Amino acid sequence: MISSISTDMKQFDAIATQTKQNEHYQPYIVSVFESKELEKLGVSNLKEALMLVPGVDMATDNFNNQTPIFRGSNPFAYGQSKLLIDGVLVNNLFFDAYSEYLSMPIEMIKRIEVIRGPGSKVDGINAYAGSINVVTYAEDFEGFESNDKFVFKYGSYDYRMGGFVKNFKTKNFKTHIDFYYQKDNKKISSGPDGFSQGSLGAANVGLFQSGEAPLWLDEYSLGLNVKYKDFTLKARILEHKQGSAYGINLALPQESDRVKLPSYYAELGYAKKINDFKLDIKAGVKYDAFDSKAKLAPDNTVLGSVTFSNGVYGEHYAKQRVLYQSTYLKYAGLQKHHITFGYRVTQEKTIAMISKLSNLATGNAALVDYTQTLPFFDKNAHRNVYALSLQDAYDVTEKLSLLYGVNYEETSYKNAGLEPRVSFVYRQDYKNIFKAIYSMSHRNPSWQEMFTQNNRARVGSTDLEPEKVTSYEVAYIRNFSNDAYLQSNIFYLVNKNQIYNSATDPVYRNTAKTDIYGFELEYKGHIFPNDELYANYTYVDGSYSIDGSSTGNNIPNVSHHLAKAYYIYNLSCSLSLSTTLKYVSSKERMPTDLRPKVKPYTTMDTAVNYKNIRYNYTVNVSVKNIFDTDVRYPSPQNTYVDDYAQARRTFLVTLKKSF
Amino acid sequence: MIRALLFCFFLTQLLFGYSYDDLVLKAQSSIFPKIMLLDKEIKNKLVNNKIIYTIVYDEDDYQTALHVEEDINTAFKGHFDKYPYEITLVNFSHLSPTIKTSALYVLKSSKENIKKAANIARQKGIVSFSYDVNNLQYGLLFSLHIEKSTLLYLNKEYISMKKIDFVDLLLQMVKFVEKNGAVV
Repeated sequence: MISSISTDMKQFDAIATQTKQNEHYQPYIVSVFESKELEKLGVSNLKEALMLVPGVDMATDNFNNQTPIFRGSNPFAYGQSKLLIDGVLVNNLFFDAYSEYLSMPIEMIKRIEVIRGPGSKVDGINAYAGSINVVTYAEDFEGFESNDKFVFKYGSYDYRMGGFVKNFKTKNFKTHIDFYYQKDNKKISSGPDGFSQGSLGAANVGLFQSGEAPLWLDEYSLGLNVKYKDFTLKARILEHKQGSAYGINLALPQESDRVKLPSYYAELGYAKKINDFKLDIKAGVKYDAFDSKAKLAPDNTVLGSVTFSNGVYGEHYAKQRVLYQSTYLKYAGLQKHHITFGYRVTQEKTIAMISKLSNLATGNAALVDYTQTLPFFDKNAHRNVYALSLQDAYDVTEKLSLLYGVNYEETSYKNAGLEPRVSFVYRQDYKNIFKAIYSMSHRNPSWQEMFTQNNRARVGSTDLEPEKVTSYEVAYIRNFSNDAYLQSNIFYLVNKNQIYNSATDPVYRNTAKTDIYGFELEYKGHIFPNDELYANYTYVDGSYSIDGSSTGNNIPNVSHHLAKAYYIYNLSCSLSLSTTLKYVSSKERMPTDLRPKVKPYTTMDTAVNYKNIRYNYTVNVSVKNIFDTDVRYPSPQNTYVDDYAQARRTFLVTLKKSF
Repeated sequence: MIRALLFCFFLTQLLFGYSYDDLVLKAQSSIFPKIMLLDKEIKNKLVNNKIIYTIVYDEDDYQTALHVEEDINTAFKGHFDKYPYEITLVNFSHLSPTIKTSALYVLKSSKENIKKAANIARQKGIVSFSYDVNNLQYGLLFSLHIEKSTLLYLNKEYISMKKIDFVDLLLQMVKFVEKNGAVV
């Protein structure tokens, strides 16, 4: 009987570790959000869920390539955070971003694990400012309830969504399929556009426009996870199409202008436990593309001596392929030690590129193929990355755990080199936990930063060094009960080689150094037995300097104060009411940018959720931004002078039927 | 109007239940019955040659109690090892010292209700299991908490209990909790 209890305990240990149930004992700063709770709040997609995470703000750019900003990280460098879906890295190669996945419906997601700071280096994947692991319902444990469902949603901007999750199981074989299709016709009043600031020269300033920015979405996704004995297959097709937003050349585009950001991946895995060893082998392929078709400049644009009486049109297409293979060996044969050693090799390559523009010689609007003569991108772009890592998780005593390790990385361009990491977790008792973490990490330059050509606003450079961060974090967690806690942490981040460009110097350079510090408080618990309260507050401050200058400036485009909270009141086991509040303080500009600060904002959402236990369906009605607050994400200098306007008050109705 | 709102507010307080962690419930449903079998005196606690495992719940936690019952039945299918068992669900308000049971599994409730359940278990010399580890300070005997690993907590009062006698190996696996809630 004792051995049976021990086996059970080990099994629940494994589930707790995999599901981050024991998050507070992990050697990094992590927040975990269960989608079942988020659904009650009316949270619609991954982006809305991430907006609840401590220290996370959102930024966008001229074609609405959105990216979460962790603790004041570089808002113009997309790859400072990584997105993994069921452990597969999905950042696209072109921008190193994952904007196309931010619209992933919350109903397809089981859990979101967000690690702030460079604390998580899993299987050679570098987290710089943070990493997000989206766990779908492919995760399935014996004896837990089924997650099969249909979902339909309808909301503002004629938003429509339909999708399903289905699992098939036999003794050795498990298959998970998820599918969704969603579409809207979102348009937001924006402008004046970048032409007003001379983005295409002084001669064209008078051509600026204001109007409806096409921010519509049209996408579908099919995910497949198969497990057979020790083998796994994880695959996904995402066909993402969106409006050209604020214009890839900063000219307000036409309604039908579009950007496609497709993403496809397939990863084969083999995991085998042999005595004290656990072998984990993965090999995968990932394709992504940047595919834009738009009117780039309005009628009568003048470029040099040529007048484009019918405007300038363009088609830009760059398709990338990433091949990777990793092998990690875990050894638990030494008492109190868990040693992991392994490598990950990656080959990144552009495999197709098309560059078409209106005739630059005559000004005729019809497209001319400039792929060979004036490419917008290096069609031979490629990079190999080799990463080695060694790590030991050492239980020094029953109360003290130490994790230490080192990563080494080489690329076919500039190397990140050796990066150590040490963390301590001290568990005084089940109520009091202390952590201290020191780590170094880096972000390799994105494809855009290295290989963009013949563009007035962006010029790539293959001489770029990786951005580097050294982080110091201390945390204290107070557990009040099984489901109530307060997590507090202080962080200090030293960032070097930050990559920026500007309108006056469009070449990407390692120009900035930023020191960022602050603290985060996160509380989860109850006021009454039948409610759920979650609240967090983040303070971020710091300074940055350019090109080795000793002059420190306030970090631009960063909110010093972020506060988020939600409250769910369960009127019964079927009916709940909820409110979500978010406060984002003002943001300073770059010193050369004379515009006033980006205004602070507070938004409030509310939702009512009804679950019919007998027939197993759920109806949720939510209103977002109920007070119609004007929310704007900062635009760079000399672009959209009034910043990028976001959605005002919206509503959403969700119907979910579970099986 | 204010009175009506206050009335509704207090009414909802009376009507609705606590929140529970699915994984903890599942782990406790799987492990607690096995712990009960490690009591050397278990034979003396059978009721009609059966183990009666009583889930004690607040009125609004009835669904949770049913859920636990289902989990136990799925895991054990009618027998705790060689003993047939029966699960009974008892509301705190109906819990009395006359209850015929081999063990109590106590869900969340007020301090008074927890103390009441603990006293009944103590008087009857049966094992009491608690969902919430914090409730050991009110006299319940055993709990399970998921931390870095899964841990078993045993109230130090156990040492003075004569009707319960766990095998030594179990005592080596648990962490003892003092009366004030401190872990020894």
